[in-house]
This record gives sequence, C-alpha cells and structure tokens, in this order.
Amino acid sequence: MSDNNSWAEPWFKAQQQFVDAWSGMAKGSKSASQADLWAQSFDMWRKACEGKTQPDMELAMRKCMDMGREYFAMAEQISKAMSSGANPVEAINQWLEQMKQSLQQLSGMPGFNVSGVNDFMKQWFTPNASWQEMVAGLTPMNQAMWQMPGMNTSVFNLGEMIDPLGRVLEAPGIGYFREPQEKQQKGLQLALEYQEANYNFNQAFLRVAMESIQGFQNHLVGLEGEHIPKTLRELYDLWVEVSEQHYAEFAMGEEYQTLYGDMVNKLMIMRRHYGEIVDDNLRALNLPNTREIDTMQERLQQLRRDNFALKKEIKEMQATLAQLAKKSVVATPAPAKAVAAKKAPIKKAAVKKTAMKKTAVKKAVAKKHTRAKAGA
Amino acid sequence: MPNIPFRSDQVVEELVQFNQNLSKGVKNLLDAEEISAGVTPREEVYAEDKLKLYRYQPSTGVVQNKIPTLIVYALVNRPYMADIQENRSTIKGLLNTGQDVYLIDWGYPDRADKYLTLDDYINGYIDRCVDVMRERHGVDKINILGICQGGVFSLCYTTLHQDKVKNLVTMVTPVDCKTPDNMLSHWVQQMDIDAIVDAMGNLPGEMLNWTFLNLKPFQLMGQKYVSMVDIISDEKNVKNFMRMEKWIFDSPDQAGEAFRQFIKDFYQDNKLVEGGLKIGEHEVDLKNLKTPVLNIFAEQDHLVPPAASKILPKLIGSKDYTELSFPGGHIGIYVSGKAQAEVTPAISDWLNQRS
Repeated sequence: MSDNNSWAEPWFKAQQQFVDAWSGMAKGSKSASQADLWAQSFDMWRKACEGKTQPDMELAMRKCMDMGREYFAMAEQISKAMSSGANPVEAINQWLEQMKQSLQQLSGMPGFNVSGVNDFMKQWFTPNASWQEMVAGLTPMNQAMWQMPGMNTSVFNLGEMIDPLGRVLEAPGIGYFREPQEKQQKGLQLALEYQEANYNFNQAFLRVAMESIQGFQNHLVGLEGEHIPKTLRELYDLWVEVSEQHYAEFAMGEEYQTLYGDMVNKLMIMRRHYGEIVDDNLRALNLPNTREIDTMQERLQQLRRDNFALKKEIKEMQATLAQLAKKSVVATPAPAKAVAAKKAPIKKAAVKKTAMKKTAVKKAVAKKHTRAKAGA
Repeated sequence: MPNIPFRSDQVVEELVQFNQNLSKGVKNLLDAEEISAGVTPREEVYAEDKLKLYRYQPSTGVVQNKIPTLIVYALVNRPYMADIQENRSTIKGLLNTGQDVYLIDWGYPDRADKYLTLDDYINGYIDRCVDVMRERHGVDKINILGICQGGVFSLCYTTLHQDKVKNLVTMVTPVDCKTPDNMLSHWVQQMDIDAIVDAMGNLPGEMLNWTFLNLKPFQLMGQKYVSMVDIISDEKNVKNFMRMEKWIFDSPDQAGEAFRQFIKDFYQDNKLVEGGLKIGEHEVDLKNLKTPVLNIFAEQDHLVPPAASKILPKLIGSKDYTELSFPGGHIGIYVSGKAQAEVTPAISDWLNQRS
C-alpha cells in the first residue's frame, strides 16, 4: 500500500483507546462493551482500507474480525466477573452460565434468530449461519419470497403460520389458470416444508449447543495438572476441542443424518419445482428454457462421445491399413535383374529416408501442443 | 472445578498482546499482493474442453525415470495443492527425485459440462491424456498417481486399461466409503442425489465448501482465524496462510452427471467394495487389477479416514502391493515439511524400482 498514514493513524488511535479501556476495566471501572469497542475500531479501520486490499485478504480480515470479536467477548465476560471479585473458577462458571441463559432464551423464542445469542456462543451456529448464506446465494429467486409475511421463520412462529397458510395452499384451483395456480400453491407448500426442515435442523443444533456447555463444565471439573488452562488462549483452545467433540458425536448420529438429509432434500425439491415454474414462464414467452437447453446439451454430449469413438476407430483402421500396405510391399516380388542391380543402394536410401522421417516426426511430437477440437 | 490460575492483569495483558500482534500484522495483510499458487515451471501439452494436461519441467542433474508419471487430481478443489509453494511441493519433490511429471487440470466445469459422466472423465479424458503421454514418450505404459477422488478414478482406469499403466500410486483415496468413522459418507446417506442434480444442474462449489468446513467447524471456521493473529507479523507466514485460504475456497462446481454417479455408486452404494460398479459399459472389478500398487493414506485424515483406504489390498488382484502410512492429515500429506521429507522420496523410490 502506498499511503500508509491514511489507515495507520486512526487504527493506532483506536488501539490506544482500546488498551486504555481494558486497563480501566481491569481496575474495576465500568465502560462500554470492550468486545464491541474492539470490533468497532477494527471495522472502522477495515472499511478505511476497503478496495485497497486483495479480495482474498478482505475475506480473511473479515473472518479474523468476526473471530476476534467472539474471542474478546469471552475475555470480557471473564474479566468483568474477575474484576467484580470472582475467582477464576467462578468467573468461568459465570461466563458459561451466561451462555446457557442466552441459549435458553433462544429456545423459548419463535423462529431461530441468533442475533440475541451471546457473541462467543454464536460459534456454535456457524454451520447454520453459513448454510443460510449459501442457500441465499443459490436461490436468489426465493429471497423476496422469504420476506413475505408468514415466510420468515426467524421472525414468525413456524407452527402458527403453517396452519392458516396451509388452508390457503389447499384451496382448489379453478378456471383457466388452474394449473399455474396449483403450481404456485405447491411451491409455497414446498417452501414451508423446507423452512420446517431448516427449523428442525437449527433446533437440534440449539439443543446440542446447550448440552455442550454442560459438557464443557464437566470436562473442566475433571482436569488435572498440566491439562488445566493457564491462559485465556488455552481456555479458548480447550473450549474448541470439547465443542468439536460434542459436535462430532452429534454429526455422526442418526438424528443429524436424518435432519440434514431432510433439509437438503426439501431445499432441492423446492428449488427444482421453482425451476419448473420459471421454465413454464419462459416457454410462454417463447424463450429458451432449461429443459430445452438440457436436451440440446445431452444430445451434444452424446454426439461428442460418438465422434471420439469414430475418431478412434478411424485411427485404428488407418494403422491396420498401413500395416497391410507394408505387408503387401514386402510380399510383391520385384523383377530379378533389377533387384540384383539396384537392391543395395535403394534399400540404403529408403532406410535413410525412413530414419529421417522418424526423427522429424519425433521432434514434431515432442514440440507439438496438441489441441483436440471439441468432439472433432 | 480445579484451581485455574488466571489473574485480571494477566488476562488484560494477553488481550493487549493479541491486539499488538494484530496491529503488527495488518500491514502485511494490506501489503500482500495477489496470492499465487503453483510454483513449478510447466508447459501445456494437451487441451480438450476445459481440461489441460501439463508437463512439469524436469529437473536437470538427476537420473530420469523413463516412464512418465501422470497425476490425476480430484474434481474437487484445485490441483495446485500438490505444488502450493516452493518448499512445499509434492510435484517438485517428484521432479527432484527423477520423475517426469504430468498433471491433469480439470478446470472449472460450467453448465455446458453438466452431462459429463464418470465414463467421459475416466475412459474419455484420462484415457486420451494417457495416450498423449505414451505417444510423446514412445512407451506402452505410464505411471499414474491418483489423489483422493482422482485416486478412485485412477483405480477404475487402471483396472480397465492395464495395458497402459505400469505402476499405480493412490494417495488418500476413498475405497471403502462406508467405514463407521466417515462423517462425509454419513451425511450423504439420506440425501436425494437425483433431486440435487436435477435442481442444481451442476453441484455448486459453495455447497462442497460448506460440507468440508462443517466437518470441523470450530477449528476450520473459528480457531484458525484466532491463531492467524499469532503468525501474521511475519510476511512469509501471511502469504503461506493466504495461499491455503485461497486453495480452500477455490472449489470448482461439479459436473452434474458425474457427481450423481460418484455419490450414488461410491458413497451410497459403496460399489468398489460391494461390487457392481460400471463405468460406461465396462464393469470395474478390482480383482482384475494386477498392476503394482502403492497405497498412501494419512493417519489423521478427517475426509478420507485411513480405514477407507486400507481395505484396498483385500480387493485388488495385484500381488505387488505396498502401503505407506503418513502421520498427518488430508492436506498435510502434501504440504507439510514431514511429507516433503518422507512421502515424496518414498513414492519416487517405489516407482524407480519398478520402472
């Protein structure tokens, strides 16, 4: 970067504030959330540098910031408890209890909105959050649909919305547009089914996340000697290790297999159905649709296979013909006199010529960059 | 709970240190240029559709193995993992020990490639690359080194075309895809693969990324970035870290039909073990594989557990079977210093003895 001062000054100022605030908190002073302060300063600096870094770096920095925020949230809660007079064990327990409480609140709420969850504990829902992000990227046509009343399970109660919507969806189609209406109804039904599967998947995560906190507490109780964490980082690493174990047990279970399979399948069935609706609309507009392109691609691929097979056969036949031609030359007897007079020099010349040809071919092959023409 | 020796001032100091490391490292992050991967000079010798066949520049001053080796990488992720940086390159290691190395780069399939089947990949693309190499070197048979899914392809190819393969090396290759410790396999058992391919056409790379990262989400999406702060004050470390990041998130889409067959036949029906596998019109029975095989697996592999590879000698007909167990993970087997010192020379020794 050419102009370092543009980012360095605000960054270092923010860092000084951050260090002062933490030192103040260690002495018992009350102040705003340190994790937030840290994240704000980092974010401010990151935005100042936006567009000046490589895209890969940008992504890594964002992830680094997210994780930093969560790490600091843990540190802040433990530090606060300690500065209020709790010993380290009590402080860690308080931290874990806070996480439990925030998860319990989430489990009592309709939908699945993790924004209120303890910052550190959000790590447990990384798979769910990244799933949502990925699905949003894969099903852009459905994004508007999720904003419709009754469709967003992070805001509305899924159980409550399915009943009234269910009745609408079951209404029989009538008139000229009966078929498109039924398809739209089915689409909404499939969307609800996917939402329900996604909800069940998330709820299972929530339950396992709560169990993991208890598991971590039990694990800490059993620690002895060198296994006892001596630093914040060691505590964090231990938490990662124990959480990963809990997650692995869950992920290798039948429940996960069923819930995950159901969620993926429902998403894909819904997506396939909406693809068909889009295809119908394109056909109505006399525009090419996926079905037609698929048919052409499939035929084209088969033609390419046939073409390659034919090329191979031709090559083999050419080789056979060449061999036959060679044999016939050898088998044809030449006039005796001519052979006696000119045999040796001709043979020598022929050999020389062949050798030269071979060398030329070899050189050509070694240098040649072969490009197979598409199916030709 | 045991006594945990934390002090308030120590916790603050630790955080301040964390932040200082980050401050020192930000300049490196900002100054880092676009990350390049794939370090060894190479030339493109054949191309077809999105596939490119590369030949790496052979090392001078070492005795060359006259039989060239073709690396068949997985369709998943990109093959520059095998040549990720100067001092961490399996390919460089092979060149330095006398191998003449070729590699298939599958490229990035798009919708036009949706109908590519496993038959097209194995009996089409791979076979034509093998023929190009045989012709270039004037040999009947070449060596093949298959990596992960590429190892599965190589096993199928070698079984069907033994007249063209002198030696086969399989690395972290899933053969038994239903071992009880295989999380990836566990997850796909109830998936409706037809619905996925019908809905998506090709399988998006993002979905694969999600799957791989969520095998160990706390380490791969959390701890890794906290630990990154410890190392970013060193410019070299930043580059190495970013190179790996680039590779992890560089996931090509998977051609729909090939993906459908791969997951159904290998992961859901486990046909390499159970039997009944067909690639195109040809039945693949590993009992028919008589070629010498070197099978390498990683002891801490969370993607392809060792048991998934270790079953191979029970299934193949080859009497020349060698096994190499590496104390590391699925990626470490290519990029770790230990792998450079142990795995690559072992492959070369094995090949040289049989070529």
